[in-house]
Order: sequence, then C-alpha cells, then structure tokens
Amino acid sequence: MALSLEISGLKKVYPSVAPDDNVQVFDRIDCIVEKGQFLTIVGPSGCGKTTLLRMIAGLEEVTSGEIRLDGERLNGCNEKVGMVFQEYALFPWRKLLPNIEVGLEIKGVPAKERRAEAMEYVRAFGLEGFENKYPKELSGGMKQRVAIARTLIANPQIVLMDEPFGSLDSQTRNTMQNFLLKIWTERKDTVLFVTHNVDEAVYLSDRIAVLSPRPTKILKVFDVNLDRPRDRTSREANRLRREILALLEHSEQYPCQ
Amino acid sequence: MKRLMTAAMLFTLVAMFGTDTWAQSSAPPVRMAYLQSDIHHLALWVALEKGFFKVNGADVEVKGVFKAGPEIMTAFAAGELDMAYVGEAPSTTAVANKAAKVVVVSQVNTEGSALVVAKKKTNIKNLTDLQGKTVAVPGHSTVQDFLLRRALRGSGMALEQVNIIVLKPPEMIGALRIGQVDAFIAWEPYPSKADTMSVGRNLATSKEMWPGHPCCVLVSDRGFLDRHPETVVAVVKSHVQATEYIHRNPEDAVKIGIKYTGMDEATVRQAVQNVTYTYELSLQGEKEYVQFLSELGYIRLDNPDGFVDQFINPDILKGILSQ
Amino acid sequence: MSWKRLLPPVVLLLVWQGLSASGVIPEYKLPSPVAVAAGLLDLIRTGMPPGHRLHVHIYYSVQRVLWGYALALLAAIPLGIFMGWSRTLRNLMEPLVEMIRPVPPLAWIPLAILWFGIGGKSAAFIIFLGAFFPILLNTVSGVRSIDPVLIEAARVLNAGRRFIFLKVLVPGSVPSILTGMRIGIGIGWMTLVAAEFTGVKQGYGLGYMIMTARDIQRSDEIIAGMMVIGLIGLGIDACLRLAEQHLVKWR
Repeated sequence: MALSLEISGLKKVYPSVAPDDNVQVFDRIDCIVEKGQFLTIVGPSGCGKTTLLRMIAGLEEVTSGEIRLDGERLNGCNEKVGMVFQEYALFPWRKLLPNIEVGLEIKGVPAKERRAEAMEYVRAFGLEGFENKYPKELSGGMKQRVAIARTLIANPQIVLMDEPFGSLDSQTRNTMQNFLLKIWTERKDTVLFVTHNVDEAVYLSDRIAVLSPRPTKILKVFDVNLDRPRDRTSREANRLRREILALLEHSEQYPCQ
Repeated sequence: MKRLMTAAMLFTLVAMFGTDTWAQSSAPPVRMAYLQSDIHHLALWVALEKGFFKVNGADVEVKGVFKAGPEIMTAFAAGELDMAYVGEAPSTTAVANKAAKVVVVSQVNTEGSALVVAKKKTNIKNLTDLQGKTVAVPGHSTVQDFLLRRALRGSGMALEQVNIIVLKPPEMIGALRIGQVDAFIAWEPYPSKADTMSVGRNLATSKEMWPGHPCCVLVSDRGFLDRHPETVVAVVKSHVQATEYIHRNPEDAVKIGIKYTGMDEATVRQAVQNVTYTYELSLQGEKEYVQFLSELGYIRLDNPDGFVDQFINPDILKGILSQ
Repeated sequence: MSWKRLLPPVVLLLVWQGLSASGVIPEYKLPSPVAVAAGLLDLIRTGMPPGHRLHVHIYYSVQRVLWGYALALLAAIPLGIFMGWSRTLRNLMEPLVEMIRPVPPLAWIPLAILWFGIGGKSAAFIIFLGAFFPILLNTVSGVRSIDPVLIEAARVLNAGRRFIFLKVLVPGSVPSILTGMRIGIGIGWMTLVAAEFTGVKQGYGLGYMIMTARDIQRSDEIIAGMMVIGLIGLGIDACLRLAEQHLVKWR
C-alpha cells in the first residue's frame, strides 16, 4: 500500500530555564498512516495528542525526528496538510460561504470558481439557506461542518482533526460522527483523528493508536476490523473498547505532570 | 477661677468688637491690575515705588498683571478687581456689552503705540502694502486693534484685506523675527524693543494714525466706587501726583520703568518719549471709540451719548484738581 | 432616540432659564438660555468677529480636524497593526509611546508654532497628536486580542504573510480600531478649540470665534459657540457609532 504519513523518531522538548527541567513531551514516536486510512489517536489528557497534530500541521517545531508525507519531508505549514480545530476557528467577520472559500482564496482561485465550489459543499453538507449567516448565528454542529468544508475544499492529502466534536453535546456528536463517516466513505481522505473518547475512536477508525502519559510513547496500535456501518453496541466493539480502556488505566499509574 | 472667666469674657469682647473697629478705621485694600510691561502704566509703578498711595491713605494691592486689556475686563466681570489701568477700547466694549460695570475716573496716557514691520527683507513701505499680509494685535477690541482698523479704513482699505491675528505682545517680536507675522501693533515699549533689537522698525506710530488719541484710562468698579468713594479719590490723587512726577523727574521715571518692564535702558528711554502721560479726560475721544466700535459691530448701543456720560465720571478728577 | 433621553437636558434648560430670569444667576456671570439663543442667532447672522459668520467658522474647523485626524489614521493604524503583530517592534516602540502619550497636546503648541508657523497647520498638528494615541493603542490591542487559533487556521491553509496581515489581522482588529477611531475623533475635536488658540491666519475657526467673543466680552456668544462645538462633537460620535454597528455586525 502506498504510504501516506510517516512519522519516525519524533521528539518534542519544551526547553525551560533550568536545563534539567526540560519538559519532554515525546520520547520517540514512530507511526505510519496509510493512504485513505482513518487513524485515531487516543490517550490521557495532556499527553501531547494535540502537540503531535500541531507538529504535523507545522504549527509546532520538531525537536528531532522526521515527518514525511508521501515521501516528502514536511517542514512548516503545508497546503497538503489540512486541520480541523476543536474550537472551529471560523473567521467571525466572514459569512458562511466566504469562510468555506478561504482555502481557495489563498490559492488564488478566481471568485466565481470559488463560489461555485463552495456552494457544492454547502449543498453536500446540508448548509443550504445559511450561506449569508455569520458564524455567531450558526449552531456548533453547523460551525464544525463549515470548518470541515473549509479544510476539505483545499484538497489536502491528509486531514488532521483535533477533537473536532469535543465541544458538542452527545446527540450532535453522534450526528456529526455519522456525517463525517459519510463524507469519508465517499472521498476516502487520509484522516488522522485525535480524541479522548474511546467510543468515538472505536466507531470511526480503521486503526487506533494508544498513547502513554508523558514522556509519550505509542503503547499499542489496534486494528479495528469491524464492518461498516458499525454497531456501537456490538460484542466486538465492546471487547475492543474494554481492551483500550484497560490499557489506558494501566498506563495511568504514572499520571501526566 | 473668677479671674479666668473675667479675662476670657474681656478677651472675647475685645476680639469681637475691637477688630471691627480696626477694620473700619483702616482703608480697604484696593485690588488693582495693569498690563504686562506696558509703559503706558508708568504712573502706577511710580505711585507704588514712591509710596504715593500710602501717603494718600490707600492700601493698594496689585492683584494681577495681565497680557491684554480684555483679560483685565474679564477679571472685573468675575469680581476680582476694584480698579485698574486698562485700554479705553476694551473697557468700553466690556461695559457696552454689559460684562463689567466700571467707570473711567482718570486718563492715563494718550498715544504710545506703533505699527512695526520687519527691519530687513520687507517690502511694506506704507499701510496699503499691508494688503493680504498678516498683522498681530494684542487682542480684539484693544486700543491697538482699534488703531489698526481705523488706520486701514483711513487708507481706504477694507478690513478683510488684512489678516489680523491675536498674539500676546511678548510673543510678537519673536513672531516678527522668524516671519510668522508681517507686522505687529503693540503698546510701548515693544515697538522700541523691536527697534533696539534691530528686528523691526516703525511703519507708523499711533500719533500718525490718530493724533492725540486717548489710550489708557484708570477705571474703577462701580460698586467699589459707591462703597468707598474716598479710597477711589485717594487712588486718583496718587495717580495725578505720579503723572506729574514723571514730567518733573524723567530720569527717575525711566529707572522705575526699567524695573517694571525688565527691559534695557535704551529701549525704555525711547519708549517713554513716545508716550504722552496725562490725566486730562477726553469725552470726544471716548465718543470716537464708541462710534467706531459700533461700526465694527463689537458693541450695540441704543443711546451712545448717554453711554459716554455714564461711562466717564469726571467729577473725581475735577475735585482733586480744584484743590 | 426615545423621548426620555431628551428629558434631562430640557429640564436643565428650564431650571437654568428660571434661575436666570429670577436674578439668582446674574446675567453677566452666566447668560440665560434665551440670551444664549440670541447669541447663537448673532453668530449665524452677523458673526464673531463681525463679518465672520458661524458656518464659515465651522467649515474651517472641520477641515482642520479632518486633516489632523486623517493623518492620525494613516500613521496610527498601520503602525498599530505592526506593533500588535510583532513583539520586537512593540518592545521597541512602547517606551517611546508611553513617554509621549501623557503629554497633553496643548503643551506642544509652542513647538507646533515653531515648526509649522501660526495657522491651520499647527492646529492640525495638535489635533493629530490628540487623535493619534487612542487609535494606535486600540489598534494594537485589537490585533493582540485576535484569537491565535484564527491565525493558526490561516497558516494551516498555507496563508502567506500578506494574507494574514490583510485578511486576518485587519478585519479581526476592526472592532477595536473603530473604537479607537471614535475616541480619537472625540479627543481631536476637543483639542480643536485650544489648538486654534495658537492663532489662525484666515481668522476663521470655532476656537478663534470663541476667543474673539471672549475679547469682546460676549459671554452669550461664548456659550453659544461652546454648544455648537458640543453638538458637532455629538453628531460626529453618533455617525461613527452607526458605522461601527454596521461594520461590526458579526460580533
């Protein structure tokens, strides 16, 4: 299978005043995400899941190690890497449609084309009628849909998602998970998903990587061989969930600082 | 104990009534004002230096030294002054516009101002050359403002053809020197100072603009005059004596002028020569002021002659001179 | 504007008129509202100094304020955005700004006259100083208050410096900039009168008008002039508030 994202020997250290006091976030992370795969990272809070995504997105510096995307080394922000934030991060001064268009605007796509493409996403994502609304007028679920549209319209090679449904209530959360699966099934993007919700991970992913507390390592990578569409309450789903939870509990003997 | 009580009662009685008697027997302080470095007001300075006020029984306190006549009139309006040396134009305007209630009790001087242009690099040779130029005056409705407009009118010019701006006289010489203004008109000793500093020269003296024009007057607040007529008489008497002193002792007068203006001897000497110190009142002169101020629109009077009669009180001066 | 808001000023006027008419407040200390109204008519018809009518004074004053204000906008907004964005620049400029800011614009008058001469230019300079600092500081705080995640979202979409500057920083700080602009024009308009005391060559300007009225002891015209200035200031503020509401609908 064609490799998509390759992370090798990743280390992240936050330097502090006293040299012995450096905060070491990652020890050595090695990970591979294959093309078209949905990989979720779960782990205890504060253990660097978000930092990992941010390093891939180019928002944080890598202390040592390599990140390669389709063989090319990643260095800084790259249009090939897209990211969806937990806080949506929509531009409040832009209406819905111009918010979706941003990625194309940056690429220099002329206005008419941008508009047309954005409208397609509006229709596909069930946002009709809201094109001229400001973000403050949209519900949480809608905002996240806009954020996802904004990311996907730029056609990134990998989509990072940092607890995108964390701010939503559980009902909306479920709806959004189904929405995401629907799109993903159609487009087959490569997705690197971060969450602390094990249920969500089991429901969505092809593979699940479990992280340890700091200094973070990958404890185990699970293959999720359940058929889609998935049943949240199936025996296999429950068994997997139990296994992951047990692993997390065990590792929490050494809680994060 | 009894002795203590008696002593306390006696003390209280003396304090209550004793000081009252004291207050009544001594003259009330007269709060006066004059214009900064205005050589026209030399008589006041002489009277202060030579103790004329004390001799005549007036307790004069210099409440303020102002930068222009309108400011003195505002102080009268606020009840801050009892008497003052001030220009006839600003005082007429203030009383006509019902801002202050003062009467003129004596003349202070005639003439003694000049219109000054730059000594070098100027092509202003006569009044008509002032067209389109900028001239500084000490304030609107000052004697100098009045003189300038009157002179322009006399030369057949419309007043709008000259840019008149307001500067305080201490700023005028500096402004002329660096070319911010093309000319200024001010009271002596500023024209003389501009001359001795080689910054300016007289384009026209006030003598040439309006011969014999009354300039500064000694005014008294009306209420103050009503309440303390004898004090006002004492002040006017001192003023008359001081004016005569200037004529008889010019050298000493110059010395006093140097002290109060802070300027050098050459300047003060020249300045004093350009001023005519006199206490003689001129009703005609005041009528001219009233007429022109009305024409300029600064004042609006229903009865100009009646106003002049009310504004000038010649009786006090007459009384003193007849003695 | 509801009727209730007009009530306090109307009541004040009535009380004032009553006190003046009954003689409690003497005419020469504070003219009655009726006298002030008459003074206003004089300013409109005859003018102060006579021949210099009110609407021309307003024209010149507004012109001066607009010049000073426009310059302040041109200088303060870009500088403010750069300062908000760059910590280095901020650390460099902040001591200088904090030293100059507390100096009242009026204290600059002697220097202004020295540099720009007597006239409209020095008045505009004083107004510029008054308006500059609120605009600058509000712009800086506007940029700094932009949620960093918005900038990160732009960076992740591969936005370059120019895009972030023009399409994120500027629109994001618009609410603060507008607040600064409103405060700036308020202060600028307020310094106008004193700025015009520096002397204005053409003999026009609301400050000049009031100064002349003072020389001629027309307190009714002084107060009428003050009211004109106050009303214009109110009008300007109302306009900017409207613009603010319109431009910042997304808040």
